[in-house]
Amino acid sequence: MFSEIKNRFATDDVEVKRKGLYKVVVKHERLFALIVMLKEMYDYKTLNTITCTDWIEEGHFALTYIMTTLKRNETFMLQTMILREEAHTKSLSYLFKQAQIMERDLHEMYGIKFEGNENLKELSLENWVHTPPLRREFDTLEFVNNHLTFRDGRDDNIDTKAESKRLRAIKKAEKEAAKKAKESKKAEDVQ
Amino acid sequence: METGFLQEQKVLEGDLNSENSHQNSVDFLMNWFRKQSIFVLAYGTGCGAIEMPPTFTSRYDAERLGIRGAATPRQADVIIVSGYCSYKTLRRIIRTYEQMSNPKYLLALGSCTVNGGMYWDSYNTIKKLEDYLPVDMYVNGCMPRPESILEGFIALQKEIGEGKASSWQKYEENYEFYRKNQEAVLGKKVEPSYEADWYLYEGGL
Repeated sequence: MFSEIKNRFATDDVEVKRKGLYKVVVKHERLFALIVMLKEMYDYKTLNTITCTDWIEEGHFALTYIMTTLKRNETFMLQTMILREEAHTKSLSYLFKQAQIMERDLHEMYGIKFEGNENLKELSLENWVHTPPLRREFDTLEFVNNHLTFRDGRDDNIDTKAESKRLRAIKKAEKEAAKKAKESKKAEDVQ
Repeated sequence: METGFLQEQKVLEGDLNSENSHQNSVDFLMNWFRKQSIFVLAYGTGCGAIEMPPTFTSRYDAERLGIRGAATPRQADVIIVSGYCSYKTLRRIIRTYEQMSNPKYLLALGSCTVNGGMYWDSYNTIKKLEDYLPVDMYVNGCMPRPESILEGFIALQKEIGEGKASSWQKYEENYEFYRKNQEAVLGKKVEPSYEADWYLYEGGL
């Protein structure tokens, strides 16, 4: 299987992670042929999940398709890179029905367009007009500071670190004063 | 101590020197009835909803205090916002709260409703519930145990009995303020749509 993948899909990036867990990195245009081949010839009938990793420095998204065969209990991870600006790929929903909702989720969270997916409406967000929230250029804290109000702290709220430092200094001073008084008393007694 | 009809007579006449003198006797009686039978809407948001079943069932048995569940918002007196509150949930909570009939009370559980809790930097969770809906009683903790919930209920009962819990009036009086805050996070259309697009889109499942 591996030699066939290497020859047909022109990739050296086939990795055996452990027994029954393989990973391959392929070019985007060859991905779907590979998926069809794995499904039809090697019994990878289950698409477990589609995940996306945002490599903002390199300027691309890494899409990972995880497929399983129950016949031999093997898992295949197929990784491909797509450009970040375009964020455009083909849908897998004609091969696997479950891909429809996975792609809908990725479209919502990363803004990736899946050509051929019939419903890419928002899944868990509602009326979201800002940057897709899981893209790394989306600054969550800045968004929260701009859009939401925080509760002010209590009036008697104190910086615990500074306060404990101050209390410790007072205690130390008291201790030293007591020590000095004791010593002076001793000296008086001796005299 | 007077008991029986003597007590009732005293209540009906009203004691103008007591601390409840701002209430007339009818108000006092109404509040007394209200506080003895609190119907809580069977509705939970966030993780705090998991503390409600033991509160209302035999282990902690809130019914001995007159607190029990109600099936629909029209029949309920109290709504519990139990935990973090995302924009999407907030829409539903507002719709549910506005459907409830007066007098209605809102009990907020958990630190998420107080100041965002562990979701303080989440883009999709509101931080202060009282900006969007009037809150009668906060129960803090993450999560509050059923004991704390009961304590919150007892405090709420006390406020109801004294006639101080009047958040629904506050909501009506300051509706512009609440609506403005709601629109700031939810957009112009605050009410949720009834469209069930999860499973009923064109050419769906």
